[in-house]
Amino acid sequence: MSGTVHPELVTGRDDGFAVAPWTVKPGSTRRGEASCNLTERVLEVPLGADATSRVVRAHELMHARVSPHRIEHFGALDEMSPRALECAEELRINTLIARLGFDVALLRDGSEKSGARRIAESDDWSEAVCFLMAVLGTGGEKDYLAGIRSVQPSWLAGLRAVRKRAMSIMDSHSNGALGATRVNDDLLPGGYANATVVLARILTQTMVARPPSTPEELRAFRRSLEPGGRRPPTGRFAALKFDDALVMSPRPRGAGVRRARASTSGSSMRYPSRLLTDERKRAFATRATFHGGIVIIDQSGSMDIDEASLTALLRKAPDALVVGYSHRPGDTGATPNAWILADRGAVARRIPSGNIGNGVDGEVLEWALRRRHGTEAVVWITDGQVTDSHDHPDDRLTLHCAHLVRRHRIRLVKELDGAAAALSGGRRTGRSQWCQFGRLGRKLLELQAF
Amino acid sequence: MTESFEEDGSCWRDLTDVLSSGISRVLLYGPSGTGKTYAALHHGVGASPAERLVCTEDLTSGEITGTWMPVGENRWEWREGPAIRAWRGAGGLGGRLVVDEVDRASGDALSTLLAMTDSPESARWRNPETSEWVRPGPQFSVVMTTNVDDLEDIAPSLRDRFPVCLRIDRPHASALASLSSDLRAPALAGSLGPVGRRVSLRSFYAFDELRRHLGAPRAAQLVFADAATSVLDALAIAALS
Repeated sequence: MSGTVHPELVTGRDDGFAVAPWTVKPGSTRRGEASCNLTERVLEVPLGADATSRVVRAHELMHARVSPHRIEHFGALDEMSPRALECAEELRINTLIARLGFDVALLRDGSEKSGARRIAESDDWSEAVCFLMAVLGTGGEKDYLAGIRSVQPSWLAGLRAVRKRAMSIMDSHSNGALGATRVNDDLLPGGYANATVVLARILTQTMVARPPSTPEELRAFRRSLEPGGRRPPTGRFAALKFDDALVMSPRPRGAGVRRARASTSGSSMRYPSRLLTDERKRAFATRATFHGGIVIIDQSGSMDIDEASLTALLRKAPDALVVGYSHRPGDTGATPNAWILADRGAVARRIPSGNIGNGVDGEVLEWALRRRHGTEAVVWITDGQVTDSHDHPDDRLTLHCAHLVRRHRIRLVKELDGAAAALSGGRRTGRSQWCQFGRLGRKLLELQAF
Repeated sequence: MTESFEEDGSCWRDLTDVLSSGISRVLLYGPSGTGKTYAALHHGVGASPAERLVCTEDLTSGEITGTWMPVGENRWEWREGPAIRAWRGAGGLGGRLVVDEVDRASGDALSTLLAMTDSPESARWRNPETSEWVRPGPQFSVVMTTNVDDLEDIAPSLRDRFPVCLRIDRPHASALASLSSDLRAPALAGSLGPVGRRVSLRSFYAFDELRRHLGAPRAAQLVFADAATSVLDALAIAALS
């Protein structure tokens, strides 16, 4: 006997979803082979008369009953990971059908354990978090966690913390609230906005977090899951996103920076000690004018810059490449986190303000180094703080930046006012000055010690 | 914002507008179980009750216009059929004739129906007993119903007599009102399903009545048979609150 399905009878929505016939396509109980397309009104479900097929059908019918059918949402979901939204919605749907008495223990296809192993082997923490939501409470959850445990046992504590938080969000809503379809100001159905989106927001920041491995990290990780909790450390920089909207205009050239350079001949013996220390005996000084260089400005927190300082810098170095940066903690690419303030003779008409966090220190240094002309000076205006994409100071990232500073002789400066002098000076930042640069300075000292 | 059924769906609004405008020949077609016959029998009917004809292949013209009936030894009396009774109506003003399943009428019956539904100026019939010429009263109206989805299945000559053909694709709100409140929206939506998944209003009436006495699972089993579980699951999900 073949089972039937009646999507037309699933009424009760309050969001203007028109009642009209559906197209039903035969699917299967295997993961990914059943679906509910609300836009096209296509329901793909297993049509078997067995109990598992029935629960899968109920799952897809619940999508038809409560999932959003509109595409517009006034940007409310822009910063949300689509995968996080998808998996959080799976959990809401499974919670609802379980509450109606459907046996969600039957929702498993036997691929959960091997799938979990593959995720763990590829070190894909973000998928591990998301997929847990898709199987949470179903018959596949135990196998899934066993698969993760077999490869990445250290992930389990973090995953359990996410599980607990996800369940608490679902448990805090009645059936009516969880399945509500009356739309809010963002055109999102109430239940979706209050449960799925809330959970997806947590998942989005957790996906990029570093899996907690110590008791202290686990405590911080748990706190990050609570309402108002600080985002967890990610241990990685955000991707650079340049502000393309900035308009550049040419500026009058200044005199440039005159810099003394050691030479084998000249009219003034400025470095007599070189007669003994320099193989080429470059004891004389010749003066050369420099117009360029690269200046990287950390605009996070209180490190904002003023236009007068930038103008003064560009008077000295009119051909300099000046780039500012500051990442909005947790931003997933919607907000620009880097901007070119001056580019070899052209200058931005306005200076964007920072976005609180650092978040892209290493990325912007590498970007700037790729644009370096020969051995021109590279100056980094920084307070010595290096943070990840959630604005947590990170040892590994700080060390990475310290290596860049050493390897490429990047000059460290605390204020923009000192940038011109740093460009004209022939030496990199001295060891005695490193202590002014916080964690970064300490890392440089450690590297020096080795 | 609620589900966009349009409780008084446009098809029903059209019917009301047509009848209230004085159009006296209307053909209603569309899926079964939406209340076409009910509407034809009750909407815009005058003082006398509507007369109803259910067409079958065996329908004869005698069942339309009338027959001689024995009333004693060697005596017969002419008994007028529903079409003539509707022509006369109360006080000769004319009433409503409802012709159901008109696509099933054939041969003799179809030609008689053509005569009975002709325009008021042309229609007339002679009583064989009294030789009286009978004409449709001024308020005579005919509503024909059929379950066909394609009007090509209706004889062109008959269709020609019905300038207004309305597709009725959903139950009327008043027909749903007698159902329990939790079944009204599914019953309306169920009637819109494609052939094979359409659930008629009559099924919901029966289910509603039976579940009061036997409980929903048993009632669903009796009414929906193999589809009982599927219907109950869909109703449970629809009723989420």
